[in-house]
Amino acid sequence: MTLQAKVSTHRGTLHLRCDVAVDAGVTVAVLGPNGAGKTSLLRVIAGLVPIEEGHVAVDGVVFDDSATGAHLTPEARRVGFVFQDHGLFPHLSVLDNVAFGLRARGLDRRVANMRAGEWLERVDLASYASSRPSALSGGQSQRAALARVLVTHPKVLLLDEPLAAVDASGRLELRRALREHLSNFSGVRLLITHDPLEAASLAERVVVLENGRVTQEGSFTDVTSRPRSSWIATMAGLNLLRGSVSGGTFTVDGGATVLVASDVSGPALATIHPRAVALYRQAPEGSPRNVFQLAVAGIDPEGDRWRIRLAGTIPLVAEVTPAAAAALRLAEGGDVFAVVKATEVDVYSV
Amino acid sequence: MSGGVTRRPLIGLVIPAAIAVLFIAVPLIGLLAHVDWSTLPAQLVSTDVLTALRLSLECSIIAVAISLVVGVPLAYLLARSSLPGRRVIRGLVTLPLVLPPVVGGIALQTALGTTTPIGGVLQHFGIVLPFSTAGAAIAEAFVGFPFLVITLEAGLRQRDEHFEEVAATLGARPWRRFWRVTIPLAAPSIAAGAALCWARALGEFGATITFAGSYPGTTETLPIAAYSSFEGSGDVGTAITLSLVLLTISIVVLVVLRDRWLGALR
Repeated sequence: MTLQAKVSTHRGTLHLRCDVAVDAGVTVAVLGPNGAGKTSLLRVIAGLVPIEEGHVAVDGVVFDDSATGAHLTPEARRVGFVFQDHGLFPHLSVLDNVAFGLRARGLDRRVANMRAGEWLERVDLASYASSRPSALSGGQSQRAALARVLVTHPKVLLLDEPLAAVDASGRLELRRALREHLSNFSGVRLLITHDPLEAASLAERVVVLENGRVTQEGSFTDVTSRPRSSWIATMAGLNLLRGSVSGGTFTVDGGATVLVASDVSGPALATIHPRAVALYRQAPEGSPRNVFQLAVAGIDPEGDRWRIRLAGTIPLVAEVTPAAAAALRLAEGGDVFAVVKATEVDVYSV
Repeated sequence: MSGGVTRRPLIGLVIPAAIAVLFIAVPLIGLLAHVDWSTLPAQLVSTDVLTALRLSLECSIIAVAISLVVGVPLAYLLARSSLPGRRVIRGLVTLPLVLPPVVGGIALQTALGTTTPIGGVLQHFGIVLPFSTAGAAIAEAFVGFPFLVITLEAGLRQRDEHFEEVAATLGARPWRRFWRVTIPLAAPSIAAGAALCWARALGEFGATITFAGSYPGTTETLPIAAYSSFEGSGDVGTAITLSLVLLTISIVVLVVLRDRWLGALR
């Protein structure tokens, strides 16, 4: 079973234009900054937002098709949607919330309540059956919303920022529970998040969505080690250079050159880990290495590593120890010499 | 924000403001001062008072029922759909709020009177609205129903369609979403609107007396009975007792609405 969504639609100023395929049994995370169109994508798949062009289908069942004008209503799609705010009905008890989907599909109250009760036990909420949703904590209400969706056996499970409405103390436990429920669900599993940690811990495959477009997809490790956009590079904590390479020289867009140890040629991207950037106050002598004279633009202390933002011909971030930062008197600003070994520059084709 | 600058009010404003408060309070005090508390219990259970009270409750409850049946769908469509001519319809529905009730009564008479086409058809089925209890209820509904529609529409607008969307993704069809989600979530607004509508219907005078007259036991509701005793028979004591009943009901409605529902509409 595969979900295929090739969609084009405008939401406000955003033009969502992407092609996403999700196989059943693999949790896919759509990762991207706020406003990238992640929620719009989920709403399209759920049938809550019309598409202008494209085709959405699950295993031959057409949800939307702009060519034929086909549109299946949300209630007919069997797409389970766990909303970011969880969307528990405030006027119903937790049990009635979980039974809602079953009742909507025509099951009688007794059977629906029984199955809902079983699911409440599976998510450790049996004792809250008769409570109102307002009595639940963030994590509990997330689990109730998940149970409410899973009890109806949907073909597709959509989760919108599953951990966003949960406080930090409950996240670890909820992440574990969520992983378990996701792995037990055999249908199509798609979640969206802006949090790399969530994507890394819950999903086997990551689709990066930026400004309505897919910029990269693959495993989390692949995506973060070879970023194809500056947003991913920042998220992965890497310096990303864009340009072209030939004969071991990487020419950054804008003109600066970096010597690299690579036989790739043509348009390329290059990453440099901030820890591979060494800083000096005086120009180091007699060395064929890459030396850039840059200005200290800012310092972000992060534990035992300080991130030094450098501006100039090649904007770079360097990581140094607080002791080194003090010895170099970086807090005073001014120019420094940044040194990068050719072997520390990872070059790959666009 | 009551900052330091506005903490000490201008004396020039205090005097007219005090007059405004007295303006409302003095007549009510006058009313209470003229209540003959010794004969009040007997008067309250006198047949005249009880007949008018029973009739008033009957008519006003029918008026609320009529308003609910047609007003809830109208408020829903005004709030949630792209009904063509929505603004015109909203204006039309609001009109009875500002229309002199006597005009409403005359309008009803000219539309539903026995000599009119609609009145003729109704008469054919044995229904005569003018000068009947049903007519009194219709007149009260005409005047009270905008309160329900406006209150409910505001309540529905306050909430977006998020929960309806949730219900749809859970497999609920439009009618189930309406009955299981929209209506229960709008219940506080419906109750507030119905209470306002009821209070207005209970106090209705102009449209009712014009369209339905004042026949004791048939169309002589509490306000009309109060007026008749006061002006017609000169029975000021009964008029005061009836007024006291109406005043008490008004205060109860006000207190209940204020604490339970009006807060949610602010």
